[in-house]
Amino acid sequence: MKPTRALALALGALLLTWVAQAAVGYWQVGRLEPVLNEETNLTVPPVPSGLAHTGARVFAAQGCLECHSLSVRGPKDSADLTRGWGQRRSVARDYLFRDPAMLGTARIGPDLSNIGARMPEGDKLMQHLYDPRLLKKSSTCPTHPWLFVKVASGPRAEPDALKVSPDGWHQLIPSYQAKALVAYLQSLNANYALPEAPLK
Amino acid sequence: MNRSTLPQGSSAALVLILGSVLASLIGAGLQLFANAQLLVPLLDRLIPMPWFNYGRLVPASQFLLSYGWLGSGLLGVLLILAPRFSGIAFRYGRLLFGGAVLWQLAILTGLTQILFEGPSGLIGMPQPRFVSILLILSFLVLGTGLTRGLGRSWKSGPLLPRLYLLLALLAFPLGLGTAEILLRGTSTPGAVQIITQLLWHSFHHHLWLAPLGLVLIFQLLPTLTGRAATSLNLGVLGWIATALLGGWLGTVRASDGPIPSWMQSAGVVASILMAFVAVGNGLLVQNLTEGRWEEIRRNVALRFLSVGAWSYAVAYVFLAYLSLPWVRPVMVFTVAWPALFEVFHFLFLGCVLAGSIYALLPVAREMGWPNSSALTWHFWCTTLGTATTAACLLLAGSFQGLALSDAGVPVSTLSSYLRPFLSVVIFAQSFWLVGQIAFTSVLIASLLKLFPTAAPMAVFRNPTVIRPVSVGHLHG
Repeated sequence: MKPTRALALALGALLLTWVAQAAVGYWQVGRLEPVLNEETNLTVPPVPSGLAHTGARVFAAQGCLECHSLSVRGPKDSADLTRGWGQRRSVARDYLFRDPAMLGTARIGPDLSNIGARMPEGDKLMQHLYDPRLLKKSSTCPTHPWLFVKVASGPRAEPDALKVSPDGWHQLIPSYQAKALVAYLQSLNANYALPEAPLK
Repeated sequence: MNRSTLPQGSSAALVLILGSVLASLIGAGLQLFANAQLLVPLLDRLIPMPWFNYGRLVPASQFLLSYGWLGSGLLGVLLILAPRFSGIAFRYGRLLFGGAVLWQLAILTGLTQILFEGPSGLIGMPQPRFVSILLILSFLVLGTGLTRGLGRSWKSGPLLPRLYLLLALLAFPLGLGTAEILLRGTSTPGAVQIITQLLWHSFHHHLWLAPLGLVLIFQLLPTLTGRAATSLNLGVLGWIATALLGGWLGTVRASDGPIPSWMQSAGVVASILMAFVAVGNGLLVQNLTEGRWEEIRRNVALRFLSVGAWSYAVAYVFLAYLSLPWVRPVMVFTVAWPALFEVFHFLFLGCVLAGSIYALLPVAREMGWPNSSALTWHFWCTTLGTATTAACLLLAGSFQGLALSDAGVPVSTLSSYLRPFLSVVIFAQSFWLVGQIAFTSVLIASLLKLFPTAAPMAVFRNPTVIRPVSVGHLHG
């Protein structure tokens, strides 16, 4: 084999791989657009708020993906749907406004694609972030106390303070990162029908 | 070759190899901490700091082991090997040294950033963008140096190592550069981002790290055994297939979800075909090592390289198994994939790297290894430790996958399926770490010439030029 032929073959193979996956992938799923939900007159998937967008980066930075996936798998009678992780399987259009788009590689905890629908209460999510065992004794999810600021309790509780106190003398105020992360988790709600994935 | 030009290139190699050994110790240590937290979740309360969080320890250790240990180490040994098998000396030794230092700086910065600022959440790219840029810049310097290994003319040396070197030299900058531009340089739509992440994951493992390992296998095994690879055509076919299929293997990590189904099917087909390619390359290795058990037992470099070469075939057969249509949906989000990571990184690439260091470092540094029991410890601890870890993780992953597929099993009990296996995994990983510490101590003592050494690498009669006996058969 001549060197020029080997070089052309290697370069060609690598470029072909990129074109076949990234370019064809873009052509197939990158040009998808939101669809109009005729009942609500809103487009789906919804565009996340700026705070939720920041929260996606906090989610990644806390390493949540090492235990939680962000993809509900079909078919209709699949374990994912039976567990109530979603009302339908995840499809490419669900990831339209997600940046960074994350899939996850492990399931040591539950899938979070629809956590915003399953646990919409912000204060519960905050408590879970501070100490998951406050809500569920058997939880193996790690604590995230660094996302909260501990301040001495005054005569009146801060409006956004957690309902739990570490010692009775202090209150826990969520940091901007914690608020962003909760906004992101609340935005993970795919309870809407899409043409390619109707609700079960 | 002008011998006076060697020390500069070998200084760069030494920086990369020492950095690699240090990264392996820290990376394996972080991996141990992470698994200990999975085993005893309350451990995170002992040190309630973000950098001690399981979610940061795992990507930090993966980054360190992949880019720091294997990437750095393989580049280091190739810097020793390349000018010797092509017969062309490095011209800009200081530039190479700068490139090697830059690589270590990128690893250190990446590790610090992942631990203290958090990973990016992208598969295969936990590091921030500027660390990727540092890695690409460093690779451009080191890779340009390594092009010397391709030789002045194609007929001046063996073909297969050069073909794989060419592939690896092209794949890293092309893969990481394009992935960076698409993921963090432009506003790529969501699902395409995931395709790009999996694409870089494939490039990183199957078109960069694996070919670097194969360069060493196809160059050093014929040299050490004194035999020629029997079929050049089979080897070239394997190279072409690797170049064509390697980039498709990442899509099997997705099951259903946002990736187009044809891409997932193509990934499954590519994985199964790659198993045949790996078995084909295994046949070439079989011919090189057949009937040489006494030599393999005696020569630690040959022993590591042989285990590494066989593990290469095992890793791809394992990947094909995990990709089978009836296995993949069950195993996709389980610890069976880290089991594959163990075989691929620790048994295949780790053993090839260790064997290459044993074979090549004495050539570059004019040193020898002691006839020490530490070498035996290194071999048995690392191979047995990794094999046990991989077997336990595969079993744990099978239970985890079956539990995940049964909606009646509560998710909160998932970790209880993993715990019995995790205890053994932690023990086995500690065992690996003991082996690596033994190796590190011998390496440092040998570099400092602290004890009289034997010369187990006598196979290199002329230490400045390494030529396998197979040259005649492997010409293109």
